This record gives sequence, structure tokens and C-alpha cells, in this order.
Amino acid sequence: MLRALLAKDLRRARRNPLPWLLNLALPILITAVIGMVFGRGSGNDNSLGRIKFAVVDEDKSQLADFLRGAGNQGKAAQYLEPVFLEREEADQQLRDDKLSAILVLPKNFTSNYLTGVKTQLELVKNPAEQIHPAVLEELLGVVVSALNAISRNFNSEFPAWRDALSGEPDYHEIARLVDQTGNKIQAARKYLIPPLVGYTNVVEVPKPAASTGPNAGTSASTSEAKPEQKFNLFAYLLAGMAGMFLLMLANQAMNDLHRELEKRTFERYTTLHERLLPFVAGKALFTIVIVSIGAAIILGGGQLLFHFRWPRPLAMSLLTLAYVCFATGLMAVTVAIMPDERRANALNNVMTLIFSMAGGCMFPTDQLPAAMREYVSPLLPTYWFANTARELWWSDGSWYIPAAKLALVGALGVALAAFLFKRKFEKGAR
Amino acid sequence: MLKVSAISKAFGAIRAVDSVSFHVSEGEIYGLLGPNGAGKTTTISMVCGLLRPDAGEVYVNGKPFSANPVEAKRLMGVTPQDLALYEELTGLENLEFWGRIAGLKAAEARIRAVELLEALSLTDRANDAVKNYSGGMKRRINLGCALLHRPKLVLLDEPTVGIDPQARAKILEFITELRAAGTAILYTTHYLEEAETLCQRIGIIDHGKVLAEGTLSQLQERLGEGLVFTVDADFAGSTPAQWQGFAERFRILQQSEKQLVVAAVGDRDPADCLKALLALPVRMQNVSLKRPSLNDVFLQLTGRQLRE
Repeated sequence: MLRALLAKDLRRARRNPLPWLLNLALPILITAVIGMVFGRGSGNDNSLGRIKFAVVDEDKSQLADFLRGAGNQGKAAQYLEPVFLEREEADQQLRDDKLSAILVLPKNFTSNYLTGVKTQLELVKNPAEQIHPAVLEELLGVVVSALNAISRNFNSEFPAWRDALSGEPDYHEIARLVDQTGNKIQAARKYLIPPLVGYTNVVEVPKPAASTGPNAGTSASTSEAKPEQKFNLFAYLLAGMAGMFLLMLANQAMNDLHRELEKRTFERYTTLHERLLPFVAGKALFTIVIVSIGAAIILGGGQLLFHFRWPRPLAMSLLTLAYVCFATGLMAVTVAIMPDERRANALNNVMTLIFSMAGGCMFPTDQLPAAMREYVSPLLPTYWFANTARELWWSDGSWYIPAAKLALVGALGVALAAFLFKRKFEKGAR
Repeated sequence: MLKVSAISKAFGAIRAVDSVSFHVSEGEIYGLLGPNGAGKTTTISMVCGLLRPDAGEVYVNGKPFSANPVEAKRLMGVTPQDLALYEELTGLENLEFWGRIAGLKAAEARIRAVELLEALSLTDRANDAVKNYSGGMKRRINLGCALLHRPKLVLLDEPTVGIDPQARAKILEFITELRAAGTAILYTTHYLEEAETLCQRIGIIDHGKVLAEGTLSQLQERLGEGLVFTVDADFAGSTPAQWQGFAERFRILQQSEKQLVVAAVGDRDPADCLKALLALPVRMQNVSLKRPSLNDVFLQLTGRQLRE
């Protein structure tokens, strides 16, 4: 009988595809729009792209030159595109949306720093962009922390540095100081926990590809070598959008039970059968199938559309399947509780939005208030899915624990819904 | 085949069905006739197990429904008043699906669905979506969906409501064929003509109670010798209570300012009755004689028209 019920529902969905297509097209569309707005200038590889920012050097010292040059070296050059401008020109380009931010090295920055006078670097962010300025801010935070750490630990050597850098620079002396400082860092390395700035002799070290991930800014380098996985903004967004819209798809599918009640087809079924559970189970099965198809279209279609490949496809597939089970269980419970389709829709939409926002589907949980980020988000299945799907990009973390939790919550939801339906129809199907 | 014994159902303070009893034999159509809200659908819902009676019992094939509902449901086919169909599916797919739900194998469900489409004169529209059907065609498919498993007892809840006369005639013809095949049919309607022409026995129901039951002629006999007169006149200045000897000769079925419907009391000559009515002290416009209908019976029992 389950086969007949499933075939019937799939046929009906095929004949009236508009509500389903809307829920499938929206996440891809939103991902495309957000990805193109915030990830513009990303080039053909669709990664985060190079971050173009202006450096306004009002100090004109050797240390400022060093900081200026750092942005053009090695890995930094792959992601950063500093341009050196005067303040007015930089402001104008920022207003014209040609820059993501302006970094101002203030006058007397070097001398103040080396003499222990408090000084500040200024970062002017482009308000029209979200991700690129945020990445720069994180990077600058790391640089400032490193400078502060150096100041605390190597204060005694600052006079020598000051002398070496003042006037005509003595490059032999600078080289000697770098070597001496490097040895000290090496000796003190194990005490610098957490090491804001690591020092390693490995020449080429793969890094997390971008700093927008959950581990961003904790370390500037790592000694663990693993295959490089390029971060992709579209994939990052799509994982969250899928988390949200798969819930909406599940709502659409499971709410069909209310439509069957309204159309009296459920009533007709009860004139033929005493047990109601097969009908409810049939609807849950339909929801699982249709949401799985939806997931394949959103995640697989997104992959083709935005030219990236999901890392660890088997893990991603099983995680998604577990999330589909969760979505089905959740919607089954709300449909069982609410008396009609309108009210079930209202509840499910509100719940989907809350779960999606607090669970990091709509934007990173880093942006949430600390209490919510610490105590609420980790409890939400949407977070288990979106966060784990994103972490597949840069860690070998255990995806199967969140997947098992999702599947378990889904199974409990379906069981609870079956119990609620049984109670609901105990006194007849009306 | 079906015996309903003093079933009752209340929704809060409203007593929707009050101790209703009747039975339906094989090859018989039993009509439950009553206005909207009389309790017909609630009665059928209790008979088919959609609602549990507060009191009383339903027997199907001699066994209490409550003792073995699965077996009872296997013997029944129910056509609800509302169209319980999947509009996106074709007529054939709807029939096949309900056949599968009734326990038929896929191939058997297909064969019977095709047969039913033929019997319901819908073969040429078999592969059209039901949403594109006319009201009459939807009603026929709605009826067919209850018959895939060839039930011995069919419950039809106003199966012709809201359709044109031609479509109604087709459905009634089909139901007559079902009865001829030996099926017991419980048929609810508020159409007098359907009950008169289709049903072997009729129960008149109002406010949840069966007021009278029997064959058409048995019900008509309740009005005496079958003489019912309609008098159209101006009764504003004169009332039957003022007319000497009127109450002994006529029983008033319905009265308004412009019309009086009466039944002759006792064995009377129609001509004498006409003469007596024409002699009434009112400004007369028309007097007509007719055979009593179920509506007249209903009028006598309830004091109001069936369609009021």
C-alpha cells in the first residue's frame, strides 16, 4: 500500500510542480545573488577572490614599508590586492565601490610603536560589502595581536630596532636582528599558547584557504599538511540556503496531509481501512523522497551552476539524508499538532526562519549575539547540518555524529507524530 | 445486509442523530430523505465508521460493526457527499488508486477501473485530469471510487447533489443497475423525485429523528385516501378556524396568507370536496387536486416543505 500511496503523491507533485519549483529555485537564486554581490571580483574560480584594499601610508617609515610589502608576498598576494594611495584618492575609490577597505598607517606609527607609545592602525570598511571587509578586519586583528605580542616579549630589543630603522637603514643590522628574534621565538614557542603567531621552518605550508571559516584568525600558519581545499563562497551560502529551503520543502510535502483532510480523501481512506498509520507513514515517505530529490537538485544543481565540487561527496550525501529525516520528523510533528494547513504553514514558516537564523543557515553564527552563538545555535539541527556541511571544506571532522543526531531526531519526530495522529483520530476521522 | 439499531450522536448540546433505526436488505435501495441538516450525513458517517455512535449499534451482514470494523469496511463502499478525489490525477488513476487502497493488486485494479469507466460512460475521458471534468463527471468518478472492490453494501450520501438532470439520470441508471446486481444501497437525498423513483423503502428524517418509514404507497396512505387539494385564495380576512365543519372534512397540511394545502378526511368524493372548497368564504383564485407526494407527507409530519 505504501507504494501506491507514494506513487499517487509523486504523480500529484509532478502534475502541479509550481509550489515545489519555487522552493527549489529560491535557494539557488538567493545563493547566486548574494554570492555575486558579496563575492564580486572573485575571478573565474568562484573562490573568495582577491580583496582589494588601499594602504594610506602617512608614516613613510621602514616598518610601514615592511607592512606595505607584506601584503604583496607569498600566500597573501593570492588573496590580497593592496594599492597604495593618498587618503583623498583612497576615500574617493571607496565611495566608488572600487575598494573593500582602507588601511591607514598613521604618522609616527613606527617611532611610537618602538618607543612604547600607544598608537592605532585605522581600517575604514566599505559599508556596501560584508565579507571582504570582515576578512580584512580579522586579518588586521591578527597583525595587531602579533605586534602587541612582539612588543611585550621583545621590548628590550626595540632600541636596536629603532636605531637600525632610523635614517638610512642598515640592512646587515636588520638581518642580524631578524635572526636573533627568530631564535627567541623558536625557544619561547611552546609557551605562546594559543600561538597567535606561529614560527615554523616549513617553507611552504598549506593554510585554510580563507579566513571566513570558523577557525579563521586562530593561527597564521599550521604544520599539518593536507590536500588543499579551496573555499567557495557559493558553496558556503548554498549549504545554509539548502538547510532553510529543505525545511520549507518538507513543510510543503508534509502539509499535504492537511490538504487530504480538507479534500476528504483521507476520510475516504478511513472508510476502507481501520488503521490510519499507513496513510501517515506514506506521507512521511513521500516527504523524505521529495525532499531528497530537492536536496539533490539544490546541492547538486548548485554545484554545476556555480562550478565547484562538494568535498567528500559521500559524507555530504549521508549528512543531507539525515537532515532530510530530521526535516520530515519536525514537520510531521507540527502538522499533527496544528488543526489545519493555514495554521501549520504559519507555525512552520516561523519555525523555519528561527531555526535558519539561529542555526547559521542565513548568515554565519559568528555574527549572532554571543549568548545565542554559544548556547542556542549548537543545539539546533539546522546548525548541525549547515555547520558540518561547511566544515567538510576544511576539516576531517566527524560528520557522522551530527548526521546520527539528525537522523535520531527525525525518527523521534515521526514516532511522536504517529502517536499524536493516533490520538487525534481516536474518536473518528472527523 | 445492514441493520441500524437506535444509533445516536450528539455534538455538544446539539443532538444530531437521535435513536435512528432502519435496515437495508440485499438488492434494496433504502432512501433516507430529509432536508439539509436533518442528520443524514451524520447517520451515514456512523454507519461507515467515520464517527462512533454515542449509543446504539450498527450491524453489517449480521455482525456488529464495532466487533469487527475491518471486516465490515471490506463489505462496504462509501461515496461521500463531497468530492473526495485527487484533481491532479486522471479518472483512471483515481479509480486505480482507490482500488489499490481497497486491497486489489495493481493489474486487477486496472481491469476493474477500465470496466467502471465503461459502465459510468467515462471511457473517452479516462486519461484526462479530474480537474478538467464537468460536475456530473466528477460525481460519477466519485461514485466509481467506492465500487472498485465490488462491495455488497453501498452507502451513497447525496451522490447527485449539484449536477444537471442528464448527469443525474446517468447516475440513477447506474445505481439501479447496482441494485439489480444484488447490492444493498443506503441512499441519502433531499430530492423527493429521486426517493420516489429510486427507493424501495424510504425513511423520512428531520432533526435527527426518523419520523416515518415505509414504501412510497405506505407513506402516502398516512394522508388518508390520497386526496390532496391546493387552494389559492386571499386568506387574510378569514381563517379555517372560523369556517363551520371544515376541520371535520379536511386536514390542513400547510397554510399561508395566499395558499392552503389540505387532505380530505375519510372516504370522500373528489367532486364533493371541490364543491365544499369552492364554497369557502374567501376570494378564490384556484383550487387543484393532486395525488399526495412525499413532500405532502413531509409537510404533514413536519409542518414545512422539504426544501425550506
